[in-house]
Amino acid sequence: MLVELGHYALVLAFALTLVVSVVPLWGALNGDGRLMAVATPVSVTVFFLVLVSFAVLTGAYVASDFSVVNVYENSHSAKPLLFKITGVWGNHEGSMLLWVLILVFFGALVGVFGGNLPDDLRATTLAVQGWISAGFLLFMLATSNPFNRYENPPIEGNDLNPILQDIGLAIHPPLLYVGYVGFSITFSFAVAALILGRTDAAWARWVRPWTLLAWSFLTLGIAMGSYWAYYELGWGGWWFWDPVENASFMPWLAGTALLHSAIVMEKREALKVWTVLLAIFTFSLSLLGAFLVRSGVLTSVHAFATDPSRGVFILGLLCLFIGGSLSLFAWRAPMLKQGGLFAPISREGGLVLNNLFLTAATAAVLVGTLYPLVLDAITGEMISVGEPFFYLTFGPLMVPLLMAVPFGPILAWKRGDLLAASQRLYAAFGLALLMTLFTFWLWGMERVLAPLGVGLAVWVMAGAISEIVTRVKFFEIGPKRGFARLYGLPGSAWGTATAHFGIGVTVLGIVTSSAFQEEQVRTMRPGDTVNVSGYELTFDGSVPRRGPNFVEEVGHFTVREGGAFVAEMEPSKRVYTARQMPTTEAAIHTIGFSQVYVSLGERRNDGAVDVRAYYKPLITLIWIGCVIMALGAAFSMADRRLRVGAPKPAAKRKQSASVPAE
Amino acid sequence: MTRKQRRLTLIGSAGAVLALALGLILFALNDQIVFFQSPSDIASQQIPDGQRIRLGGLVEDGSVERSDDAHVKFRVTDTAHSVAVTYQGILPDLFREGQGVVTEGVLTPDGIFVADSVLAKHDENYMPKEVAEALKGQGHWQGGEGAAN
Amino acid sequence: MIFWILISALTALAALSVLVPLTRSRASVEEAAAQADAAVYKEQLAAIDRDLSDGLIDAEAAEAARTETARRLLSVHDRKDETRPAPLSKLRIRSVQLIALVALPAAALGLYLALGSPDLQDQPLAARLSAPAGEQSVELLVARVERHLAEDPEDGQGWAVIAPVYMRMGEPDSAARAYSNAIRILGPRPDWLTDMGEAMTVSNEGVITELARSAFQQAVDLEPTAVKPRFFLALALTQEGKTDDAINSWQTLLEGADPQAAWVPVARRELAGLTGETPELLPALRGPSQADVEAAGEMSDDDRQKMITTMVQGLAARIEANGGTVAEWGQLMRAYMVLGKRNEAFETYRRAEKVFAERPAELAKIKDAAVTLGLSGS
Repeated sequence: MLVELGHYALVLAFALTLVVSVVPLWGALNGDGRLMAVATPVSVTVFFLVLVSFAVLTGAYVASDFSVVNVYENSHSAKPLLFKITGVWGNHEGSMLLWVLILVFFGALVGVFGGNLPDDLRATTLAVQGWISAGFLLFMLATSNPFNRYENPPIEGNDLNPILQDIGLAIHPPLLYVGYVGFSITFSFAVAALILGRTDAAWARWVRPWTLLAWSFLTLGIAMGSYWAYYELGWGGWWFWDPVENASFMPWLAGTALLHSAIVMEKREALKVWTVLLAIFTFSLSLLGAFLVRSGVLTSVHAFATDPSRGVFILGLLCLFIGGSLSLFAWRAPMLKQGGLFAPISREGGLVLNNLFLTAATAAVLVGTLYPLVLDAITGEMISVGEPFFYLTFGPLMVPLLMAVPFGPILAWKRGDLLAASQRLYAAFGLALLMTLFTFWLWGMERVLAPLGVGLAVWVMAGAISEIVTRVKFFEIGPKRGFARLYGLPGSAWGTATAHFGIGVTVLGIVTSSAFQEEQVRTMRPGDTVNVSGYELTFDGSVPRRGPNFVEEVGHFTVREGGAFVAEMEPSKRVYTARQMPTTEAAIHTIGFSQVYVSLGERRNDGAVDVRAYYKPLITLIWIGCVIMALGAAFSMADRRLRVGAPKPAAKRKQSASVPAE
Repeated sequence: MTRKQRRLTLIGSAGAVLALALGLILFALNDQIVFFQSPSDIASQQIPDGQRIRLGGLVEDGSVERSDDAHVKFRVTDTAHSVAVTYQGILPDLFREGQGVVTEGVLTPDGIFVADSVLAKHDENYMPKEVAEALKGQGHWQGGEGAAN
Repeated sequence: MIFWILISALTALAALSVLVPLTRSRASVEEAAAQADAAVYKEQLAAIDRDLSDGLIDAEAAEAARTETARRLLSVHDRKDETRPAPLSKLRIRSVQLIALVALPAAALGLYLALGSPDLQDQPLAARLSAPAGEQSVELLVARVERHLAEDPEDGQGWAVIAPVYMRMGEPDSAARAYSNAIRILGPRPDWLTDMGEAMTVSNEGVITELARSAFQQAVDLEPTAVKPRFFLALALTQEGKTDDAINSWQTLLEGADPQAAWVPVARRELAGLTGETPELLPALRGPSQADVEAAGEMSDDDRQKMITTMVQGLAARIEANGGTVAEWGQLMRAYMVLGKRNEAFETYRRAEKVFAERPAELAKIKDAAVTLGLSGS
């Protein structure tokens, strides 16, 4: 009965999203407050209904109700409780339900916290959010209904893909979806602004926090996914430029551009039209990601079981939303009022530069991701675009951007002084130079790029610190007042510095772990020792072991450094019994920020086993940097006040002219 | 600077960044893409020495030989032709004889394919798309639409 | 009943969420947008003053920010009044009310009845397993016993009960394992030993392995008059090619036999085969005996192909006659693949899919088999 109730709640939610798609918009266009008032309560009810059906599905998973097809296909009664719950979104139908749940949750949030928005803007935004929700609910009901039933249920389920039976599944998709779907709000705001033909001050104020929220979750989601792939797949890699990874990375890049342009819009009322366009792009890229993963055009770890009808349906949605919003943009954007003026060398100018490089990088990733698909569709030729393509295109675009990062926050609004800004960065530049030389000295000339990369990372980090130091005028006013000012610094300033520092940390991790890692692949017999970067790994032998739903062969390694005991490591090969599927469980030992990584290959009959051992210096910085970035976003979000970015009044001459932002 | 000059600066820098991006993309597309080949393709056409390709097909039954330090030799077949492959490293979990596989690397002049990466299917139900297409080309694949679940 | 009450409650809630706001008195909208903007800027001015008094910005910066904000505030007042809304129409409200009261419930119910299965109860596994035995299917009973045995693997009687059930379900491997557990815990019994040997033989497609042989031998040692183990021992001798011993065994076996017994014709045929008389051909499929396999080894490729083809035809005929088990369908698919007849194998797979469409567990096995054979990709 409960299962059917959940099903009905989902159907009812769909019917209700149709109402919220039409009625408030009708009200907004006719200035009818009663119709607009419908938006908020209906959005909240829709959220409640989808929550009911999500809870019901989760309940069915926990109770192993195999009369639900989705549960039968993706669960098993012997699975640990945590994986029964996370298994809900470990498959296409369930993850779609989570996607929609987050979508309608954001709609409800706008309704509840949108009290200070003009009525018609709120109503129109919720109507647009309603269109998206209706589209995806229809998609679920038509092609991927999680509540299909069996009349005579089987006794045991098919179990969840073992790769997904991991704590990573509990965290990665929800974070990622909050990120993806969070951008739907800025999209809905942007489309609402186009429909109403104006950008309100309140709109400008809303875009940044919502973007920050989505962006920080997406950052964490991508970082988590990368770490998960790193320890679960057993290949020692943390990023594969896999199309599906790119699918999450493109909205992140566009979202990063969006949150920077949102700052300009919020503080200077400039770049309005560009921000609207970026908001549309960002969510469109999220939708493109959903299409790539669910349509079956790709085969990857992330791809769900494919069904041609799904692909066509979701392609239709994609065209409708992207095409519709872009046409609307072309038609209505000229009506939006232009904003403030600024000189090329200014904070605004810096942010425009950031946007240029980020969008160019997004375009490069987009081309690399879609080119093989397009070529296959047109000529039937099968190619793969691998890491070298992305190194060659994405890399060169990131380098100038990273070099420019420390300048941005130090430049003044409207018109800045590059020379003065440079003077403030002398210390950071000196430190970066020193670290570059130090790395050269340490590693010699064999790897030329790596020390430069280290220098770049240090430059970004030190630049972020310089920014804070400059802002509080630490050296001019003395430490006592300095600390007082430090405390009083607005959250957004802390946010900027923290997030930029995080970027530097991530870059440092990427450079050191890829340039200076050591890898050993050996066939080892019990008693053998392999040496990676000074750590001696002794293979002591392997023993079989039983888990709740798998059996495994665990290899036992002792790690020593200069003869002294460091750690014991236990990588294993598992076979999940329900699907008879083997997996590799790597063992990872963290030393400081660096890691020793061991994974096992096939076991030979004579007891020998192939072993892959790595030493990855400072690799954890990659993910720590991402967490720092997300933390920066949180600081910035905590700063609720709308701040005005006023130009420095110092310039006495009448500004001869300023350039309109767009 | 006049208003016009500032506008030009902005447009100019935007143009420069876009041109840089475009140039990089075109250069990389020209140089860095890897074509997928089946063993029959390799048998029928000349592949320049040192060019990276992706070779896909089925792992021939009984062809896998392992030796020390994780060296492995096997043959990849599309049932019409087969190519010998050498690889050093850990094979993916689902690498099995008779199953689909995609390897990336370089063909040596003596016809041996030296792979630096080997991909097998990710789960029980997955056949690498390229492999499926190549086998279809050889007429050995009738999986087709209906058979997929 | 409760179900329909809950459904009505949800529907009512949905309708109310549309209806209630409609009763709200009308706010003037065209003012609201400008007011909201003005409010934002006023708050901003207040924030600038606060920052100034907290010493976060200096007077100069505060002045500049104030000027900027004031400029924006003024522009709000400049904003042209947007088009005046049309007078309130009763029609609009009526139609939205109609949507909430009629269209919404009708659409939701209609769609649900088309998609859902309102009559199906929840079937959590725990409840199904604890339901009275009379209401449970064989599979469920098996699952229940399996669960019990997983918790208490030393319950020999449990193993003994489930073993023949496995055999009937066409899972000879599981049956053999269950028998061996029963024997390990409760000690050897001739009937268990015999059935275990039989299970092993079935799972080996008719070939009597050394392990199965010793089980039959042990059974005969315990109960020298038992017919079944002696039958299999005779068969084993036949397969091993010990013709004289085999003839002896078959003859002894047939001497005291009830001529109506089901095994008698088989024994006669085997005996006839050994003594060189023309055997009666039976369409029933049996696995190739050791001798057949050896013979096949010496055959030319053509002949071997023929032999396999004959076997496959037997299997196909048998499936045609009585529907066939999952194992048999799987065997047939594999056999076609061995023969290089991919089309037939695929055809068999498609037919098996149809036959087992209503039984997901078995369907899954068929699919697995197809995947292993490379008949199905994703």
